[in-house]
Amino acid sequence: MLLRYIFFRALMLIPVSISISVVIFMIVHLLPGDPIDNLIRVGSSPDDRAALITKYGLDQPLITQYFRWIGAMFQGDFGEAIVLRRPVADLIAQNLPYSLTLGGLAFAFSSIVGIALGTISATTRSTIVEQFVRGFILLGSTVPGFWLALLMILFFSVQLQWFPVSGAKGWNSLVLPVLTIGFGGVALVARVTRVALMDVRREDFVTLLHAKGLPSRTILTRHLMPHAMLPVVTILALRIGWILGGAVTVEFVFGRPGLGSLLIRALGQRDYPVVQGCLLMLALAVMLGTLIGDVAQAAMDPRIREVKK
Amino acid sequence: MRYATKTKLLSGTALLAVGFLSSAVLAQDVTIAFAADELGATSYNPVTSSNLNSATSLIYDRLVEQDADQSYHPHLATSWEEAPDGMSWVFHLKDGVTFHDGTPFNAQSVADWIPDFTDTENAYLVAAIESVEIVDDLTVKLVMSRPEPNLLYNLSSTFMGVPGSAAYEEMGDEFGVSGAVGTGPFKLDSFAIGLETVLVRNEDYAWASDLSENQGVAHVGQITFREVPDQSTAFLELKTGGIDLLLGVPTDFLEILKVESNIAIIQMPGTGINYMPINVTSAPFDDIKVREATGLAVNQEAIVASIYNGVGAPAHNFLIGSLPEAQVDPMLNVTYDVDKANTLLEEAGWVMGDGNVRTKDGTPLSVKLFTQNGTEFTSLTQVIQAQLAEIGMEAVITVFDSSTIRDEYKNNRHQLAVRGYDWNNSDILDWFFSGKRLGYPNISMWEDAEGQRLNDVAMEDSKNSDERIANFKAYHEYVLSQHLFVPIYQPTKNIAYNSDRVNVPDPVRGTRFRSQTVLDMTVVE
Repeated sequence: MLLRYIFFRALMLIPVSISISVVIFMIVHLLPGDPIDNLIRVGSSPDDRAALITKYGLDQPLITQYFRWIGAMFQGDFGEAIVLRRPVADLIAQNLPYSLTLGGLAFAFSSIVGIALGTISATTRSTIVEQFVRGFILLGSTVPGFWLALLMILFFSVQLQWFPVSGAKGWNSLVLPVLTIGFGGVALVARVTRVALMDVRREDFVTLLHAKGLPSRTILTRHLMPHAMLPVVTILALRIGWILGGAVTVEFVFGRPGLGSLLIRALGQRDYPVVQGCLLMLALAVMLGTLIGDVAQAAMDPRIREVKK
Repeated sequence: MRYATKTKLLSGTALLAVGFLSSAVLAQDVTIAFAADELGATSYNPVTSSNLNSATSLIYDRLVEQDADQSYHPHLATSWEEAPDGMSWVFHLKDGVTFHDGTPFNAQSVADWIPDFTDTENAYLVAAIESVEIVDDLTVKLVMSRPEPNLLYNLSSTFMGVPGSAAYEEMGDEFGVSGAVGTGPFKLDSFAIGLETVLVRNEDYAWASDLSENQGVAHVGQITFREVPDQSTAFLELKTGGIDLLLGVPTDFLEILKVESNIAIIQMPGTGINYMPINVTSAPFDDIKVREATGLAVNQEAIVASIYNGVGAPAHNFLIGSLPEAQVDPMLNVTYDVDKANTLLEEAGWVMGDGNVRTKDGTPLSVKLFTQNGTEFTSLTQVIQAQLAEIGMEAVITVFDSSTIRDEYKNNRHQLAVRGYDWNNSDILDWFFSGKRLGYPNISMWEDAEGQRLNDVAMEDSKNSDERIANFKAYHEYVLSQHLFVPIYQPTKNIAYNSDRVNVPDPVRGTRFRSQTVLDMTVVE
């Protein structure tokens, strides 16, 4: 039953990917400007420029260019970057590990700490703890990442000198970026966990469980958590896509390479093949994240499998 | 020479005293952060790359070097002769030079290298060279298809660093990425795109140009070049010792840096101009009097004093001051004169109306003023807007990203724009004012028979360097007489370094921060 659901859900990804590739291609090519102006330098002639436009096929109709690109993509060929002068696959492969490490750690950090904080604030009887967590949630959801990043650097790197200011060498260069990205994520996950737990706690069956004399701890872990995790899983799944491309400003401030930074650089130079390759990767990551979320929900809640069949 | 030997002896003694190698090597490490405009290089292949950074000049030597005064100095070529008709050049090469892979540098290396440019984006650098003839092992003759008085400029470019031809052939697309072979004072040790480049000293180096005091092996053992895109982060890295030297410090950061006791600053003469092109096809700028008045309204001296704290120099024509072609008839230089500007506008029929905006036949003197985002141009554009208001011209500012603004130029939707260029050669005039490149780079949209004739003469009919200077000066003067742009400012290039860690020669040798300067850098013991 669940396998069938996963199969059909995965099948849906094919038409969705094709539609997304069309949208990505069109948006990228309809942007004003072109890559050639970022390639030529003082001294080259107008004829050189025309030759480059022909060389990269930019004089072809958009539809021809699209099919040439998507045709190559189906054979696993991401094409050659125009301005950055390297195979797009190489550029993505060089940047992907940095994004995966940073995004993955930030995801894990925000999930674990967020669920823990949300649970504490929903179950504690101490108002001080609850006020603290609520204050943290408010701060975490509103503080801009680049500003927090600079504050972190000033305090932990300049004052205390615990961590390097920037760079991507060694584990200690990861601590501040992970905390910066994770901070916003923790607040979000904590808020969702807290609200979900409070909702479930008001259900009649919980009153019954208390009446039966079950310890509060058992009620929380065995009965409240499985119910409350549904919306949390949905939120976490949506954030999987963010692992790859959601750290652009943080990458910029901490001087780390990554898919987000590559995308922004390529976008500024209108390096079409690179922008398309990066965007497609990000879209795939979001789609996979949603798929994982849906499957996880289906596994946790049989009603979803029934309804969506 | 004596100094170099002494340093070697000293570090040798230190090495023995300390007793193990690693700390001695560490002490000679220097970390440098690239300037913002040289980030993102994906290769150290000088032949095929479109973007090369400062580290490239340390891996490859050039035949010729250019100094800050724009003079040329021998390097891998010890001397050269140009044929009187400009149709051939003979270069005598330095003896005893070897590439990083041990192969010798000789006439064959040059003959193998020049044809590599064919069909690359950099082919224009050697477009005038028809063939390379080997006269003897250390002499080459470049046979030209047309005279190219600008050949030495091209040869001194980073893009014309000489690669080892054997390695170049063997490594193919990987050359400059996974490895690189040149004759430079440093070897490429590792390269992580977008992150850092590590160079180690070439222990055989003994062929520096006369721009360096140190003629032997570099004093610095290892250099790590880092990419730090955010200027605030780069500053904090410099302050905390994460980096020792920061290239391309923005002028508005200088005041903050000066406060730090261990940070020293070097200001190099800049290699470009900030200016405001005027679209001559768009009314009211189709009237030369309005264009001239616009130029007279801009107070360059006040801008340098108020925005840049006196750092840099006001610009009064299109070329940087160290180029001979910049020495034009003083009457043609654009200098602030608000009274004359107002008179010209009155003559052109623009009378002062309500709210201090001039009008003509009921049309207000309101114009579009474009600039690029994320650059130092934003505050400059606001000051220009205020200065134009002084002559009754209302300028409405729009900010674009660098690719979109070029599209606006090409579609002729612009009137005035604040921008800059970085190029220390007079052929920049051809780039921005040739009728063959309307829209972009010819943002002024200027098409003029006499202008094109002077351009063709300067670009194609100059037989030698003196003729070229005279021809470009004539073209420059004609461009100035047509009021196609407003010159504003010549920025300096700024370097900041941690003086507790390194000594950097001031002034920097050459037009930019390159191997000539790095050879003379020392680590503070």
